[in-house]
Amino acid sequence: MLVRRSFISFRRLDASLAVDPCRGVVVHQQPRVVRSNLYRCGCDVLSLALGQTSLMRVFDIARSIVRVLTGLLLASSLASAQNGAPAPRTSDQFSFMQLLADKGLHDIENESWNAYGQFTYISSWKPSFPAPYTNLNGSINSLLPTAERSFTGTATLYLGLRLWKGAEGYLVPEVISEQPLSQLRGLGGAIQNFELQKGGTSIPEIYRSRLFVKQTVGLGGKSIVAESGPLRLATHYDSRRLVFVVGNFSILDFFDTNAFDVDPRQGFLSLGFLTYAAYDFASDARGYSYGGLGEFHWDDWAVRLGRITPPKDPNQLPVDFRLFKYHGDQMEVEHKHKIRGQEGMVRVLAFRNRENMGRFNDAIATFEADPAKNATTCTGFNYGSQNVGAPDLCWARKPNVKKGIGGFVEQYIGHDIGVFTRAMYSDGQTEVYSYTSDDRSAVVGVLTKGSAWSRPQDVAGIGGNFGWISNVHAKYLGMGGVDGFVGDGAIKAATEKSLDLFYSANFGKVYWLTGDYEHIASPGFNAARGPVNIFTVRIHGEF
Amino acid sequence: MASFESHRSCACALLAGLVILSLWPRLADAQQQAGFAVGRFYQSAPGGGWFIMDDLDISGRLGGALTLTSGYGRNPLVITGPDGKQKLAVVSQEAFLDIGAAITHDRVRGYIDFPMPLLRSGTSGTLGPYQFTAPSVSLGTNPDTVSDPRIGVDVRLLGEPGSLLRLGAGAQLIIPSGSRADYVTDARYRGMFRFLAAGDAGAFKYAGQLGVHVRPLNEAPVPDSPNGSEFLYGISGGRRFAGPSGWAVIAGPEIFGETAFRSFFSGETGTEALLTGRLEQTGTERNLRIKLGVGHALVQNFGAAQWRIVFGVELFGHK
Repeated sequence: MLVRRSFISFRRLDASLAVDPCRGVVVHQQPRVVRSNLYRCGCDVLSLALGQTSLMRVFDIARSIVRVLTGLLLASSLASAQNGAPAPRTSDQFSFMQLLADKGLHDIENESWNAYGQFTYISSWKPSFPAPYTNLNGSINSLLPTAERSFTGTATLYLGLRLWKGAEGYLVPEVISEQPLSQLRGLGGAIQNFELQKGGTSIPEIYRSRLFVKQTVGLGGKSIVAESGPLRLATHYDSRRLVFVVGNFSILDFFDTNAFDVDPRQGFLSLGFLTYAAYDFASDARGYSYGGLGEFHWDDWAVRLGRITPPKDPNQLPVDFRLFKYHGDQMEVEHKHKIRGQEGMVRVLAFRNRENMGRFNDAIATFEADPAKNATTCTGFNYGSQNVGAPDLCWARKPNVKKGIGGFVEQYIGHDIGVFTRAMYSDGQTEVYSYTSDDRSAVVGVLTKGSAWSRPQDVAGIGGNFGWISNVHAKYLGMGGVDGFVGDGAIKAATEKSLDLFYSANFGKVYWLTGDYEHIASPGFNAARGPVNIFTVRIHGEF
Repeated sequence: MASFESHRSCACALLAGLVILSLWPRLADAQQQAGFAVGRFYQSAPGGGWFIMDDLDISGRLGGALTLTSGYGRNPLVITGPDGKQKLAVVSQEAFLDIGAAITHDRVRGYIDFPMPLLRSGTSGTLGPYQFTAPSVSLGTNPDTVSDPRIGVDVRLLGEPGSLLRLGAGAQLIIPSGSRADYVTDARYRGMFRFLAAGDAGAFKYAGQLGVHVRPLNEAPVPDSPNGSEFLYGISGGRRFAGPSGWAVIAGPEIFGETAFRSFFSGETGTEALLTGRLEQTGTERNLRIKLGVGHALVQNFGAAQWRIVFGVELFGHK
């Protein structure tokens, strides 16, 4: 199943294009970073900007506050989630590669190799919450109403090497230790920590998260600077190019990358903000896949196509390599724009998965035709429900198709502040196979950096996350059925809504300390339970 | 007649029952073995030149190496029963992919290495009082396993690159990762300390090592299993055939092995011979080395495969 595209840590591999006034070339990075660069590059233009009167600065701050409030109002009125995309390492941030470059031992503007790392510890606490029933009649996927603690600890090493002209190879080993709330049951896209993996344990486990080759073929246009960072070798690209990737990666390394280039480990923690909660992208239980993809970039436009492997069984680690039989296909179109001088981006993403999954209708029909075929008598893969009076998807698994389409918009509305929204609609006829139980999802939020209060490395955000399930999905859950994550034994179907609020404070150019609060209404799409409050603290370091 | 048939059925049932009862205590008492890191193909650091030995030609300013090695071994764990005749190939096939990276500076090399099992399978069974369950590892079932990654450091203490004698030392920490049931890890931290020697004499090259493998796992008296810390040994030699533009072929054997201190060269000892050939270009800032090895066990014990084939590619260089 699950969760994380974390390591992506990603800074988007194809971030916004912007003109770097220090170099006079187009920079391959997110707009926010470009602005940060403006402050430190010492260009005359910038110096002039920075040298303006304090009155102007006060005006800027006031304008930022107004925009934050505007964003908050937007968030409360819309409700949904955003995600985070990998952020490039800025040169005023400590890194091993920058250290080598400072000593004249590494060319950080035209790299033949690089190595970056991160470590993150996230601790969440959930107080008890009201619930008239839990795991009713032997169903097993309720969020427990008792107080619980959850944690994840991860450490990642990003290794990159230039193989030949235009080709880059990446290896990313990672270690994780975790303890989810209620064994990662009972929540849809509102899962409070995107690092959580299904089946993970508190015993640290080392695994290979990525091993892929990326080939770029230039087609002309402007010269773009790609700055050094995790999963990115510093180089120059053409703004018009073809990119091919083959190997083992997270599809979220390339599709639906984070808004505003904020690293997910510095930004929102909730799963619903990582990508569309209803985007059931094919991946193993850690969120990784094998396959290939192609990108076509033409200045401000980009089109991506990819085919990746699903797991053998839903939300499990073993991978099914029969790419012609079972696969996840996705296509994304992206356009970058400016509105009144403020950069923004629009994306549309569609996916079509063909997997060995169960349709809710088929599971219900099978049970109604023969009640002996219930959740306790499964002969194939199942989640272990003990509800003898419930249908189960195990009786309905066969090659089926799931489809969905979604859109994403991000827009800067001022200096270091932007709003975003993301929504997806999937057909809702089949079970969750890899990501979350949401059949439809929407998020909206505001992200800002702390430059307005002289802490430009700080990140703050507020957002709303909404998740829906289809009618037939609700009927299945109402009969006591379970899917990969939810199933209380009964349901008063409702929208799962969550509000997420965080502040990440940077210390020593290496560490971020984050406080996060999440309020969830109708957990697991069940209005009879909750609301749930979750408090989270995160310590994150990059080197 | 019917009575006779009935009595015969009863007799058969009784006999079957007695057979089952006679076997039952042995089956019930059979001690399930948890598995361990069966691999003893302890590769040299990235950029080391040989598969197991080390050329010790670390030099220059900041440099580095990246190596990708893949190999297949047949019967790396064949357990012999108490009668000395019965054999069980608990691990009959193993294949791996290994990616390592090193940073070098002057005469010091730091490295990290990530072995990834691609295939590990065999036959389950019971030998004497021990019950063995064969691993079932494949890329599909274990898509991302990293088994016992290594972090290490090597230092060239004496001699210069190209000299007749170079001496060095190395240490590495093996971090437990993976499942014992897959025979990819001991699930315990391990360490290695090695004294290294290498040299060039005209067209001939050689290298050798002696070391200690600190291995806390002691499964004795289970046959063909770790018996605590081990003594490492190895030697290699080859001839260099120079080609144009700095390219050369080096061909020669590597012989390497290990024996447990508790049963020094009497018990858990495995020795392999590997005939290696490598095509390499040296002397530039970015060099390439392609390696191929085919080997056979001289003393077959756990980890020393009956035969194996190994392939490697190395990118290395320094400023």
